[in-house]
Amino acid sequence: MNKALKNVRRKVLVVEDERINREILGNILQGGYEVVFAEDGQRAVDILRADYDTISLILLDLMMPVMSGEEVLKICRADDNLSDIPIIVMTQDEDAEVSIIRAGADDFIKKPYNMPEVILARCERIIDLYEKKRLIDSAEIDLLTGLYSNEFFFEYIKQMEKYSDSKMDAVAMDIEHFHLVNEIYGRAEGDRILKRIASMIMAELSDSYGIACRSAADTFYIYNQSLLDYEKLAEKILKDIEAVTFENAKIRLRIGINRDVDRNDLPEQWFDHAKLACDELRGDYTRQIAFYDSAAHDKQLYHERLIRDIDTSIANKDFTVFFQPKYGIEGDEPELRSAEALIRWNHPELGMISPGDFIPLFEDNGLVQKLDRFVWEEAASQIAKWKDKFGFAVPVSVNVSRIDIFDPDLEDRLLGLLDKYGLTTNELLLEITESAYSDSAKRLIEVVNNLRDKGFKIEMDDFGSGYSSLNMLTTIPIDVLKMDMKFVRNMLNDDKSLKLCELVMDISRFLDVPVVAEGVEEKAQLDKLKDMGCQIIQGYYFSKPLPADQFEELLAK
Amino acid sequence: MITIEALKSLGVDTDKGLAMCMGNEALYLKLVNSVPTEKRFEDLVKAIDEGNLDAAFDAAHALKGVLGNLSLTPLYDKASEITELLRGREEADYKGLMSELIKERDTLADYCK
Repeated sequence: MNKALKNVRRKVLVVEDERINREILGNILQGGYEVVFAEDGQRAVDILRADYDTISLILLDLMMPVMSGEEVLKICRADDNLSDIPIIVMTQDEDAEVSIIRAGADDFIKKPYNMPEVILARCERIIDLYEKKRLIDSAEIDLLTGLYSNEFFFEYIKQMEKYSDSKMDAVAMDIEHFHLVNEIYGRAEGDRILKRIASMIMAELSDSYGIACRSAADTFYIYNQSLLDYEKLAEKILKDIEAVTFENAKIRLRIGINRDVDRNDLPEQWFDHAKLACDELRGDYTRQIAFYDSAAHDKQLYHERLIRDIDTSIANKDFTVFFQPKYGIEGDEPELRSAEALIRWNHPELGMISPGDFIPLFEDNGLVQKLDRFVWEEAASQIAKWKDKFGFAVPVSVNVSRIDIFDPDLEDRLLGLLDKYGLTTNELLLEITESAYSDSAKRLIEVVNNLRDKGFKIEMDDFGSGYSSLNMLTTIPIDVLKMDMKFVRNMLNDDKSLKLCELVMDISRFLDVPVVAEGVEEKAQLDKLKDMGCQIIQGYYFSKPLPADQFEELLAK
Repeated sequence: MITIEALKSLGVDTDKGLAMCMGNEALYLKLVNSVPTEKRFEDLVKAIDEGNLDAAFDAAHALKGVLGNLSLTPLYDKASEITELLRGREEADYKGLMSELIKERDTLADYCK
C-alpha cells in the first residue's frame, strides 16, 4: 500500500440493528478505525450518500427492519459513487454465503462473530485490496480526457500484441502552439478542447480494433488497425472544435502516422516515430498529416551518428588524408606536378565511410570547417616531410569550404601553417568551390583578393557546375580552373558535355589560366582533353587517391 | 451487577465472551447486564402468542446472534433451537420452548439485579 495512505485512520460504517452487536463491533474496530453506525438499511444509505468519499468499508447485517441488508447491497452496487466501497456481510446463515457474494458482497463474517482478530484481519485485507485496485484504476485512465494513461496504453498494447498480428498503425496527434491556447483562452478552455478531441477519437475507435491515450499535455496516441481515414478524422475533429471554441481560437492539428508498425521495434519506438513525423509538420501550414518514413529516419540517425563522432574521429585520427596526383600532359610523358589532398574516414565501427556521405552533411551544418582545418594541418605537415626527405616540394591543394570564407582568421590561420612547416604559398594550394560565390560574392571576392595578395594560388573547383560562372569570372581573379568532373565523365557519350569542356577550355584561354580536368578514367578522355589543350589531369586513369606512404613511392621514382 | 464468577456458575463461556469484547470486562458485563431487558424477548413472546412465525423467527434469529456474541451459552442454546425450528416454520411446542428460554433469561436477570 502507498506509504502516504498507510497511517490514515479509515472510516468504517457498521450497519446493524442490534444495539449489543453494534457495541461489540464498535469496541473491536475502534482501535484501528473511526466507526459510524446505522441501525437500519435506510439510515445506512442516507449516511453513504452523504459521506461516500470518506467511508472505506461497510459491515452490513442482512436482517434488519425498514430496509434489509440485501436491499442496501443492491443499492450500493448500482450506485457509481458507492460501488467502490467494499462490503462485508455479517450473517448467521452459512448457506447464504454464495448468494451473498454473488449479490456483490466482498466477504462475510459469521454470526455469532468470528474472533475479533479474524474480523480485523478481514476488514484490513478488504480495504487494502480495494485501495490497491483503485490506485490501479486511477493510473489506467487519464482523468481529464477519460482516455488511457500513457503507461497503461503501452501495457495494453503489449497485451494486444499477444493476441494479434494484424497490420497496425501508430498515430501521434498534437496541437500546434497549444500552450498559447491555454494562455490566451485560459486553461479551462484548453481542457475543454482536449476533452473534445479525446471524445472524437473515442467515437472514431468505437467500431474498430484500436485504443488511444493522452501521452502528454496535448499529445494523443492512437494504436489502431490500419483502417482509419486519418484525413477524415482530422477534418472531423477540427470542424467540431471550431464549433465549440471561440471564433479566434484557431486550432491546428498535426497528425504523424507510422503506418504498419515494424514489430521488430518496441511499441514505444513506434510512437516515437509517429511523433517524429508529427513534429516534422511544425510550422508547415500546407499539410496536416505526415507519414513516418523509416528510410529517411535511418538516414537521419546515421547522420546524427556521424555528427556525434566527428570530434572523436579527428582526435583519434580515424580521418586520414589521401593524395591524388595531378599530372601535367603537355610534354611527351605525363609528369607528376602536384596533388590534391582528400579526406578519408575509416570509422572504428562503421568502417570506410564515403566522403559523399559525410562531406555534404558537414558542409550543410558547418562542421566541414573542422575537417578542413584537419586536412590543412595534415597536408602541410606531409608536404614539409617530403620536402625534407626529397629536397623538393610537391604542391598540394586543399579545400577551402564556403564556411571557411567567413572565418575572419582564415588568412592568419593559413599563413600560420606555412610558417609552422616552413612552406611557401606555392606549395600549399587552395581550392575554392564555385558555389561559394552564390552565398556571398562580395565576401568571397574580398577573401580571394586578400589571399592572392599574400601569394596564395587559388584554384576554382567544380568549375562549370554553378550558374554564376561568367559573372564571377569577371570579378574574381583565380589561378587555375578545375573542370567539373561531370563534364569529363560524359564528354565521350554526350555532345553537350563535350561542348562544355571546350567552352571551359576557351574560358581558360581567355583568362590565361591552366585547366585541371578531374575524373579522367580512360585513355580516350585523356587524348580528347589533350587535343583541346588541357594541361593537367587528375583521375583514376593515372592514379586513385593514395595514402601518404604510397604517394611517397611515386615521388621516389 | 453480575460478575464473571456468577456467569461461569451459570455455564457461560466467559473466556470467549470476554475475548469478543477484546478483554474489556466492564464492557462485557455491561452488555450482559443489559440482556434481560432486551426488547427482542418480548417481541418473541408476543409473536409466538399471536402465532406469527415470521415475526417470531426474526426475533429469535436476532436474539440468537446477540446471545451467541456474548457467549451466554444456556440462553444461546435455547434461542438456537427455537430459531432453527422457526427457520423451517416447523410445527413445535414453541410456547414450551419459549418458557424455557424465558426461564434462563430470568435466572440471568436475578444475577443482574
